[in-house]
Amino acid sequence: MRRIYLITYDVCDAKRLRKIFKCLRGWGDHLQYSVFECQLTDADLLRCKAEMADILHHGEDQVLVIDLGPAASRSATLVQAIGKPYSAMAAPCFVV
Amino acid sequence: MIQPIEGAHSTTFSSDRDPEDLLPARMINELVYCPRLFYLMHVEGQFAESIDTIDGGIVHRRVDNGTGGLAPAEPCATQSFIPSADEDPAVIVPEATKPKKRRKSKHVQAATLFGDDDDDGSEAGEQEACEQQSDQDSDASEEAEDLPKTIHARSVTLSSESLGVIAKLDLAEATGSVVTPVDYKRGRPKRMADGTLAAWDPERVQIALQVLVLRDNGYQSDEGVLYFNETRQRVRVGVDEELLDLTRSAIAAARQHRESGQIPPPLVSSPKCPRCSLVGICLPEETRRLANIQQPPAAVRPLITARDERRPVYFNTQGMWIGKKDDLLQAKVEGKVVQEIRFNDINQINLFGNIQLSTQAIQTALGRDVPIGYFTQKGYYYGVSGGLGVKNILVRRQQFRLADDSEFCLDIARALVHGKIRNQRTLLMRNHREPDATSLRDLKRYAARALTADSLASLLGIEGIAARIYFGDFAGMLKVDCGVSTGGEGYVTAEKRPAFHFRSRNRRPPRDPVNAMLSLAYSLLTKDCLVAATIVGLDPHLGFYHQVKPGKPALALDLMEPFRPLIADSVVLSAINTKMVTADHFICAGKSVVMSDAGRKHFLLAYEKRMDSLVTHPLFDYRVSYRRLLEIQTRLLARRLSGEIEEYPVFQTR
Repeated sequence: MRRIYLITYDVCDAKRLRKIFKCLRGWGDHLQYSVFECQLTDADLLRCKAEMADILHHGEDQVLVIDLGPAASRSATLVQAIGKPYSAMAAPCFVV
Repeated sequence: MIQPIEGAHSTTFSSDRDPEDLLPARMINELVYCPRLFYLMHVEGQFAESIDTIDGGIVHRRVDNGTGGLAPAEPCATQSFIPSADEDPAVIVPEATKPKKRRKSKHVQAATLFGDDDDDGSEAGEQEACEQQSDQDSDASEEAEDLPKTIHARSVTLSSESLGVIAKLDLAEATGSVVTPVDYKRGRPKRMADGTLAAWDPERVQIALQVLVLRDNGYQSDEGVLYFNETRQRVRVGVDEELLDLTRSAIAAARQHRESGQIPPPLVSSPKCPRCSLVGICLPEETRRLANIQQPPAAVRPLITARDERRPVYFNTQGMWIGKKDDLLQAKVEGKVVQEIRFNDINQINLFGNIQLSTQAIQTALGRDVPIGYFTQKGYYYGVSGGLGVKNILVRRQQFRLADDSEFCLDIARALVHGKIRNQRTLLMRNHREPDATSLRDLKRYAARALTADSLASLLGIEGIAARIYFGDFAGMLKVDCGVSTGGEGYVTAEKRPAFHFRSRNRRPPRDPVNAMLSLAYSLLTKDCLVAATIVGLDPHLGFYHQVKPGKPALALDLMEPFRPLIADSVVLSAINTKMVTADHFICAGKSVVMSDAGRKHFLLAYEKRMDSLVTHPLFDYRVSYRRLLEIQTRLLARRLSGEIEEYPVFQTR
């Protein structure tokens, strides 16, 4: 079961910041500066956190992982946007 | 069953035991946990990841780091324990390098910061202990009492010829002449009634093996330590006679299972199964239900995740170029990025027509067991490339043996055709505007007749007749556009576009939109059945019902027979009836009709929606997606091939 996580980070060093950004791009959508929305299984979350833990400086940086509940029963009002539009796409496959 | 291979080796290495033949201590651990798990993993060579195995991998990163299993130098006496160059002797870290070391340590250790919210604070305060933090934190006081210097070596691989066992020691602590193996475990220790900590048998046996291997290599060793990462506790395991007996019998059992070539039966309603990473391969309760052994489970626990969490991707835009950037697939049209898709989100890549996929992307996909399917621009299926390899050579050998057995082939073929006709009938009953009693009765009769057919040829005849009846009534399930088409004339819109009029099945090329969609749906289903067969370890090109023809995925075609109506036909119906695909989505080219790019996009979405939808398994009473169902059914066929179950249960919807 996938769950939705909002992952935000505060990284003090430019090099690590880029690395964290790059790492999270592999796991979720870049919503705003330092904010990602990821739909992860338990195993994904574990891997994602381990990857980030390797990059971060644990005395200076911080990552917050906010659990927004199961992806399957996502409510339409889970994320509301003011200003530029926000859309959560859920399709059974990718067609490009 | 592995005898010949061993024989072959023993001629080459007559004096010495084949290194391949040494049993890793970890394998014995698994054997004590569950003999079937041992067999699946180490005899059949199957593996699946679960959250626990991933967590275990993360816990082991530190101990596995760097040394690569370099054993300490030859022990000259029981005294010396010489750490090799890249070992990590915590105690003799020079002061000057300490800060650097500390940061490294923090980086690696920190993985656990997320896991335990209870003792983070205390850990942070203990940073001084840096290197030794994880190994020794829980009993630092005890270590302090040990007067002789303790030397640590990580990831030490030692073997014992006499036991025929090889063991990898996560950490070896040498104090004076005594060496204590420390094994890292991800979970938590067993808590006894009196509150003391204890270890589980599989881990105790593993420690006993490590101790024995150490002794065999001339070290003095009496006990081992299990370090449980979740609770950060150490448990001492003394090696006594009882444990040694258990260990010896486990080694013997492992050898016996390996040589018998017979898969041990699944555990009975075991609490171990739900968390076992191989539960989806082992199918413990499903197998027990079908194997007709004593006390079949009353209800099959739904131990398998109902859905595949990853999704397929279809590239459908001609001239597209797809590369890899970091962990993303990057699709470009004329040099401009049009979409990025994460590798973590996908389980298949499918290409329609002229699309370039970079070697880097192919390598990454294959490395992640993501198969790549190729189709022509029109949707004819070419093939699949996969780094899937041969997962289970034993079942494949059995497949080739049984494919020569005409009685066996006929048996499977009968069941497949029966299932297909029954499912066609069910689809008519569910979807036809006015189901025709004669057709339904005839289909039922032919389904029954399929079960008693005396040859593959007569079975083909029965299948053909049933198909004619079924497709004769197929138009009645289309509820758009064809209300007026009963007269037989094609209904043509004002712009001369073909509409959804269906008279009979035709192909190569399909000559009307419904047939074009059916052809595409069968192409997609062939691909998915082929992938399922490959995942299970079967050869997709050797079938039991479909005859062998070069390039024809006969087994995939066998497997898909009962699913043709349930998945492919049903997708066509729903795509038309829900107007996901409309008459505008087709292009006429001479006599043939093909889908436009947009039409195919909608159709692919409809197909994947179907594959992702949940269906109740009639035998096991749990709900799984059609994609998962294909895999389960294929695994059950493999069980039939290995003789574990008597009859292949063809999927029939209720």
